[in-house]
Amino acid sequence: MTEAPLISVENLTRHYKVGEEEVRALDGVSFDVRRGEWVAVVGQSGSGKSTLMNLIGALDTPTGGSYRINGNDVEKMSDDQLADLRNTEIGFVFQTFQLLSRSTALANVELPLVYRGLPRKERKEKAVQALESVGLGNRMHHKPNELSGGQRQRVAIARALVGNPSLLLADEPTGNLDSATGEDIIRLFGELNQRGHTILLVTHEPRLAARCPRAIRLSDGKVVADGPGAEVATIGAPPLQAPHHGAVA
Amino acid sequence: MKRARRAWAELLEGFRIAFGALVGARLRTFLTTLGIVIGVSTVIAIVAIIQGLDRSFEEQIQFLGAHTLYVDRHPWIQSDNTWWMYRNRKKITVEELRAVQRESTLAVAVAPMAGTRGKISRGNIELETVNIRGTSEEYLNANGGGVQAGRFLVAGDVELARPSVVLGTDVVDRLFPDEPVAAAVGKKVLVAGRPFQVVGVLERQGQMLGMPLDNVAIMPWPTFGRIFGTQRNLTLSVAAPPGKVSELESELTPILRRARNVQPGRPDDFAFNRQDQFLKLYKQLTGALYGMAVGVGLITLIVGGIGIMNIMLVSVHERTREIGVRRALGARRSTILMQFLIESAAVAALGGAVGTAVGLGVAQLVALLSPLAAAATPSAIVFGIAFSTATGLLFGIWPAWRAANLDPVEALRYE
Repeated sequence: MTEAPLISVENLTRHYKVGEEEVRALDGVSFDVRRGEWVAVVGQSGSGKSTLMNLIGALDTPTGGSYRINGNDVEKMSDDQLADLRNTEIGFVFQTFQLLSRSTALANVELPLVYRGLPRKERKEKAVQALESVGLGNRMHHKPNELSGGQRQRVAIARALVGNPSLLLADEPTGNLDSATGEDIIRLFGELNQRGHTILLVTHEPRLAARCPRAIRLSDGKVVADGPGAEVATIGAPPLQAPHHGAVA
Repeated sequence: MKRARRAWAELLEGFRIAFGALVGARLRTFLTTLGIVIGVSTVIAIVAIIQGLDRSFEEQIQFLGAHTLYVDRHPWIQSDNTWWMYRNRKKITVEELRAVQRESTLAVAVAPMAGTRGKISRGNIELETVNIRGTSEEYLNANGGGVQAGRFLVAGDVELARPSVVLGTDVVDRLFPDEPVAAAVGKKVLVAGRPFQVVGVLERQGQMLGMPLDNVAIMPWPTFGRIFGTQRNLTLSVAAPPGKVSELESELTPILRRARNVQPGRPDDFAFNRQDQFLKLYKQLTGALYGMAVGVGLITLIVGGIGIMNIMLVSVHERTREIGVRRALGARRSTILMQFLIESAAVAALGGAVGTAVGLGVAQLVALLSPLAAAATPSAIVFGIAFSTATGLLFGIWPAWRAANLDPVEALRYE
């Protein structure tokens, strides 16, 4: 028997009411993610990928369908259970880093463990370890505004890793970085995946999706492609090097 | 165990955040607490002054014995326009004194008291308005107090109407300047122009509502009668055994009615005066002040609380994204609620502590610069801080509730 998938999404829907109109941001999405996978969710803005990320991150609850992560039926959970699930199962990496500006890098990384109720000493040990693993052992006592963009994102990644979650959930993690720094971060994700972390990377950039072993393309709230990153990234999207003279694929 | 540890960690985190927020925005913290500071300091100062007044009044009122009834024609405390009711009452005379002495079984001591103001002189020192009192040897037993030098009047002074006088310390100090108090004993003085021998000096009694109690000269009441006339109204002070003042009053009423020929069915034409009546009156007065202080305090606390609520709402708004981040990292609604409640309570407690300190300072200043005594009890301090903290909690509920119920998705996206 094969191992149960880490994430199992089945016919997931999320509808919003905008005035009289019902918007189907997510319209019956199904896929599995196995442990150790690195999957990109790619799509244009408005394709539903942010909605999907919020649902997978347990920040939001679906209108219909089911979502399991690590054996938890998320759609049935109370608000407190969702908070605990976010704390233990999911490590968020945001486009805008979302660090607390008044706290040091160390305090930022410790935060998830505070909500887990770990003793101070253990918290610090793990946070130091996490910061060292992303190459920031010498920047622990700096505040976010004393760090470069790339360093901030590394702090955020350390924060995502520190609780040893089953899923790293990254939302446009290179969106606010220059290309060289973005490249570093992507390489870091590659290393983390090599070490066994399961990663779900949400992006609108086909180039990034092409780097992932697997990609899921969303369009109008539906999965339109699911396969190797290099293939999925190019489907339905302009060619990577679009010529200027108006050729449309 | 794990839950407790988590709650503890969150609590500490809440305090850490509150501290950071308060120190991070000092001016705002200052302005926020100002309302509470003013409210609490006002109340603390007023309460301290009232408590000081109460205490000094209770000390002063001790010159009226706690177990003593003062029988007079009229009550000493009268409601505004009733004096005419008492004006035509018969004087209290030796008849009543004798009746009480003869018939009362409860009375421990009975002393008549007659009084006027008059001159006392010695050599070329002349005191114009000394309170001159005529009484008996039982005066001290009935009223309390004692002599610090020499002796009090004895039965012989009263029976023989001797020219003996016992002086209060104010009188001694002025008649015998630069001499020890005991030096007065045995000396001659002139009271209302007649020679008297000083037989003793009373203990110092201080003041009663600004009236000096030591500007006094006490002589046997028959002697007093010879000089100032025998037709004066007397006040009888009758001491009861401890705790039996009311029983004594019940016993004396028929005795006095008979002695004064009050017909059955007619109201008493005399009145009993007691120390606790004064205390009651005084407590009524300061009770009203207390009420006002509490009212003012409540209003300013409400105003201060609204200020805190206002600032907390702004603070929640400003930290929307931080709230989103914390929620994403595993903070529950209750965690966020607690965090903001701690913050508002901390601001208010800070205001309460500063306000208490300022209020006590003002009270001390008042005590220093005016005759008002200010005394703060520890309970006033505890109440000041506790009430302001409670205000912070109360007015922090709504902002904290709003913070806790933010949608994490919206909060994270908030610019």
